Amino acid sequence: MKKYLATFAVLCMAASLFAQSVTLMQNKPEIDGALKAYAAIWGKANNTQVTIKSVGGSTGTDLGKELQADYAAGDMPDIFVIAGPEDFKQWQTILLDLSGEKWVSKTSVPFKVDGKVYGFPVAVEGWGMAYNADILAKAGVNPKTLVNLDGYSKAFAKIDGMKAKLGLKSVVSMAASIDMSWVTADHNFNSLLSNGLSYGDMSVTNDLLAGKVDDTRLAEYADWVELLFKYADKSVLTTGNYDAQVGAFAAGQAAFLHQGNWVDPNMKAAKTTFKMAFAPHGSMAKATDGIFVAAPSFYVVNNTSKNIAMAKKFLNDLVFTEAGNKYMVQDAGMIPAYSNITMKPSGQLSASVQAWAASGKIYSWNQYNFTTDFRQKTLGPIYNQFATGAIDKAKFIEFMKAAFVNMNH
Amino acid sequence: MKRNGKNSLVFWLFLAPVLFAFVMVIVIPFFLGVFYSFTNWSSSARADNALRFVGLVNFQKGLRDPTFGYSFLITIVYTVINMIVINVVAFLLALLVTSKTKLRNLYRAGFFIPNLIGGLILGYIWQFIFNNAVPSLGTFLGFTSWANPANLILAKRTSAIAAMIAAGTWQYAGYIMVIYVAAIENVPVELHEAAQIDGASPFTRMRVITIPMASQAFTITLFLTLVQSFKQFDVNVSLTAGGPSTIFMGKPIFGTELLAMNIYDTAFVSNDLAGGQARAVIFFLVLAVVSMAQVSINKKREIEL
Repeated sequence: MKKYLATFAVLCMAASLFAQSVTLMQNKPEIDGALKAYAAIWGKANNTQVTIKSVGGSTGTDLGKELQADYAAGDMPDIFVIAGPEDFKQWQTILLDLSGEKWVSKTSVPFKVDGKVYGFPVAVEGWGMAYNADILAKAGVNPKTLVNLDGYSKAFAKIDGMKAKLGLKSVVSMAASIDMSWVTADHNFNSLLSNGLSYGDMSVTNDLLAGKVDDTRLAEYADWVELLFKYADKSVLTTGNYDAQVGAFAAGQAAFLHQGNWVDPNMKAAKTTFKMAFAPHGSMAKATDGIFVAAPSFYVVNNTSKNIAMAKKFLNDLVFTEAGNKYMVQDAGMIPAYSNITMKPSGQLSASVQAWAASGKIYSWNQYNFTTDFRQKTLGPIYNQFATGAIDKAKFIEFMKAAFVNMNH
Repeated sequence: MKRNGKNSLVFWLFLAPVLFAFVMVIVIPFFLGVFYSFTNWSSSARADNALRFVGLVNFQKGLRDPTFGYSFLITIVYTVINMIVINVVAFLLALLVTSKTKLRNLYRAGFFIPNLIGGLILGYIWQFIFNNAVPSLGTFLGFTSWANPANLILAKRTSAIAAMIAAGTWQYAGYIMVIYVAAIENVPVELHEAAQIDGASPFTRMRVITIPMASQAFTITLFLTLVQSFKQFDVNVSLTAGGPSTIFMGKPIFGTELLAMNIYDTAFVSNDLAGGQARAVIFFLVLAVVSMAQVSINKKREIEL
């Protein structure tokens, strides 16, 4: 009996030695495979069981919902993702202060609150109007003219007239169904918030949050939305999902795509051969020569975790080991947010984001200063109404304005 | 007496696993849910997160929210139409597979199989059919209006609700059919024979013999379809995700968001778990009253053999 007990005790000790585990929950389904492969190798080398959980891809399933359910169940992951101040507020009391970490000195965009670093930037991401350079060249449109409303309306009209010749179904691949309201009410919405302002300028955002609306800015923005909707393929616009929207551009059926550099893996999977890059959004009458670039999501460490040391090491190794760099840049195709990493992603749109960022022509992502509730449930249906043609532009402006004014009531 | 004691021990032992599961996943969460609906529970780690009672605030907020009222209305419309369509289709299918048609066993299996597919997957399949297959078929057959984006079934509110009913019926009619089949086969053959000798037509026999004799089945099928339609969630989420939008009380809102999805969105999109829970309690009360009324009305019409 004693012998069994001793064996049992030894087994328990051994198990506890090997039982280090780190659970990471993240919101990019497109990097799930690469991350799992890297985590398995890293786990083996560090004697740790790494579990990767990926949730996301549509409004139906997202990270926030999963985290709430896990928090209620007392089963929070060790590392998870937050996307800005609203998320920070939600998890504030369980976030670990990471100010002392080695990677902090290598990035200019950590998530900071009151001078303390809480978030590890996952990647630099950006969007503008992705264009098919081959089609634009055939149509005789110079991408350099695509910087304001006027430039876009001329280019769209010209390409629209040559659709049959260019083999296009529509000029723009845009989605505005309720399930795709993250394209309209998150990304497109940001044109209203930060286009043409210097990086980090929160003036328009703060005014709107306080219910103050700049009518001229909103009217010009409404022209931009109208333009995008007018030249979009109506079936993709009103009922299409992500695959339908991205697929139309990848198949050469649309000259423009309203998405970000995260579609690079989709382009690779579709074996596209044409040249593509980003042009600025033309949401204003004045020229806005830049695209929206930010490190929008951050890994945070749960301060109630039993594996804080390994969680910290996992993050540091992403930045300071070659395997970590290779995973981030080559396998996952992400633009690293760290100055010591020299590798470059191979995707054309990621390269375009890097080129815009290198020349300093970038505008902020301010949309996450608004709650998910406001973006998805209040703004989403307004864009959808406009897209289906149920309301006209005047009514769209009226509803948008009412949404901001009534937000705090 | 001794045997009795042993029997009751066996009785409780066999019951224990089910009872344990029932208490853990139904009874306790139910009362916890009711408790949370009176608090400010948010399931997040906010700085000011202490749980406290807020009285009826969550219920008031829910009842004042136009989206909740709207969801109630369309859920009632959806439920009424869905109950009728499912039961009519299921009864006709049951008549078909109890007749002397060839391959009737194959039909039985075929009609029942959709019920084995999960609602989420089924919703995505139908989404593909409505968004891609129907327009393609229209182009192929030369009905260009089918391919016109303005006519897409999921692009309009009324047709999107009709699409949910179609998908829901396809999923559930086979299940209800099985219950009708059992009922129809239990009708004594002598009654039919006697009626036939008296010269009753097949239609009359169905009206005065089959339907009244199957009234017990109607009690259960109407109850099942009522509850199933009222609680519809998975097909709703995957097929329409609440879209397209509509305007209700001067505000653009989700046009096909049924009650269960409204509760889910309140909890997880608006980050208001307690608010969602309060709506769920209201939902429970309404559904309990309506379904008990339905069962008691149906019970009165049942014929004892």
